Amino acid sequence: MMRNHLSVIFLPTNKCNVNCEYCFEDKTADRMSLDQLSTVTVKLLDFVDESSISSLTLHWQGGEVMTMPVEWFEQAHERISALAQARNKRVDHGLQTNMIAYTPRWNRIVKEMFGNSVGTSMDYPNLYRKMFLGGPDDYTRIWKRNIQAAREAGINVGVISVANRETLKVGAESFSSFFVDELGITDFQVNTPFPGGEQNETKRDLELENEELSRFFLDLTDIWVERGLPEGVKLGPIDQLVAHFTGEPSCLPCIWQSNCADEFISIDARGFVAQCDCWVTSYPEYFFGNIFEHDTLSGLLKNSPARQEFVARPAAIVDKDCIECDYLSLCHGGCPVRTYTMRHTLLEKDPYCQLYKSLFRHTETVAARLAGARVDRTDFRKALTHTGKGKSCGSSSQITAAAGWQTPLLVQLERRPRKLSA
Amino acid sequence: MNAVTYNIPAHLFDSYQGKSVIVRSDNPIDLVSYLSQGKLENVLYVQLTSIKVDPDPLVTWASALPIDVLVRNPAGEYPFLYNFSKLLDKHPVRISIPVKRGFVKAVRLALALGFSVKLEVGQPDTSLIAEMAEVLDLYIRRSEVSQPVEYFHSTFLSFFNRKQYPNLWFVQEEDPEQFRFVTNEGVETVSPRFGKTNWEDLKLILAARQTQSTLTEKAECDSCKFLQMCGGFFKWPNQEFDCEGVKTLFSRLNLAAEELHDDLVSFQESSEGLPA
Repeated sequence: MMRNHLSVIFLPTNKCNVNCEYCFEDKTADRMSLDQLSTVTVKLLDFVDESSISSLTLHWQGGEVMTMPVEWFEQAHERISALAQARNKRVDHGLQTNMIAYTPRWNRIVKEMFGNSVGTSMDYPNLYRKMFLGGPDDYTRIWKRNIQAAREAGINVGVISVANRETLKVGAESFSSFFVDELGITDFQVNTPFPGGEQNETKRDLELENEELSRFFLDLTDIWVERGLPEGVKLGPIDQLVAHFTGEPSCLPCIWQSNCADEFISIDARGFVAQCDCWVTSYPEYFFGNIFEHDTLSGLLKNSPARQEFVARPAAIVDKDCIECDYLSLCHGGCPVRTYTMRHTLLEKDPYCQLYKSLFRHTETVAARLAGARVDRTDFRKALTHTGKGKSCGSSSQITAAAGWQTPLLVQLERRPRKLSA
Repeated sequence: MNAVTYNIPAHLFDSYQGKSVIVRSDNPIDLVSYLSQGKLENVLYVQLTSIKVDPDPLVTWASALPIDVLVRNPAGEYPFLYNFSKLLDKHPVRISIPVKRGFVKAVRLALALGFSVKLEVGQPDTSLIAEMAEVLDLYIRRSEVSQPVEYFHSTFLSFFNRKQYPNLWFVQEEDPEQFRFVTNEGVETVSPRFGKTNWEDLKLILAARQTQSTLTEKAECDSCKFLQMCGGFFKWPNQEFDCEGVKTLFSRLNLAAEELHDDLVSFQESSEGLPA
């Protein structure tokens, strides 16, 4: 059973048009037909009805979504909207793309289906993102050109960046400057690397030292507070942590939910269902099942031993040392895929625990300082409203926290909404 | 609240229509099933008395009634709380945790998951007082804690607002004038704090004592500055219980309330003259 909102990381194609060395997905040439898409949509809507889930968001990615024709998406949007409308449901959509195949032909569907926003990815420096023919520089050049064109067309571009060894060497100042000053990006988030999928030389060297990574994130936090925050720059997950500690509505990333198995699933082009995009493309032993081979999604999820392992993970690891952690409420043992790909088991805490704790502590201090300095509350709230991809928060107006426990005659402290979204 | 509230087993729900009730069961399916057969307007909340169950029937339940989940063995069972966090999307949820060895872990996780907490406290010994002090620190100091921990919360509010709220008998839902427990066999009893004394006998005992509060023991209580809030709660069932430990907790709550009060006054003073 899921929570009140269902997010689906949806891969209509497992095919990609680039050759990034550190990609955690093992690609195939599969793509979903429109009829298959209708079947999946019906089963998702059945599940939403059956589980009393109030809203559904599809986060479209691949493979690479833009290897599919624009016309396919236009028809997909029509079909999904019609099926949802027939049941008085609303389905929201998010798009994650590498933007390498972007042309202005995508503008209309991006506007109509995806709220004129795209999420994309770029690292600084770019070491591992490559074209099939050409190196990282070619990739970066094409990506820069295309995001520039998209932004000129009025599309909001959010960027996910994965830190690497060179990122730590050049430091937070250069990193921030590349995205904010050079590219004019005002909405980005930094992720930590993990060696998912088939192993290669690059992945063997991907894990970063917690101490160095912490220094980078803490420096980045300070730079953002000094320059980004006043300018309205959104920098996940730092801005959301500061919002959280300031008591503002916040949208923390999926790695820090109490249990990601309660929040979302992923479905790939072959119909396989798994916890997220990494699992569904690279770890068949952790597939929950195939949606085309089951009558209902609820039956598939309920009877999946693999899913039970994810559901049970936070409870299984909490007693080791998470229960003593001051930040248990923020993390709950972290990300299963980082743990599995770096420690080869689900039953340990996230290997980046030390980084998370440092970042939580630092952002808590920053939040206290900001509150103490009486930052202009209106601007502060505006700056902390995030629209980035990769969060498990629902789309607008969909998630509301239940009212707090009412002890008769007593005034209650207000429950902080953890999952309000932009 | 003046009417008596009955804590009843789910299968007696129909018999208590029109009365204020707390409906309990160790089976979520029973709660949903029995409560679908009557009006819910007099149901204060439902109480799930086992944590080792699948809560999904309550997740999909159309009703948004508050749910209280009892963790009988907090040190061993607390990780099961993870299964209940999705209830928060539709229901106010409180976790009732007996003050037993190792209960602090259950409180930590319950608060980390965003649940309200009620401590089911008897007459705590020194080691349990130490654990309660740890919980008190969490409740008072940690910014991550955003939900009430009873009885600390009501007591804190009393100190902070400098106003008398109902005493611990009420907060802990153990006041025999207002809360009755109906056994699975349908026998009406009062709080287990009174042992096997039945309500009719208890009424006579309490009336005979003619004390300031009907449930107050004299002696140590007479000189206790926390009597109004406590109401002699910690003197039951063993009237020889040494209240030193619980008084320390009351003192710390009082101090925290005063600190907050002073901070707010000083903030208000420093804010005067600033632009709105």
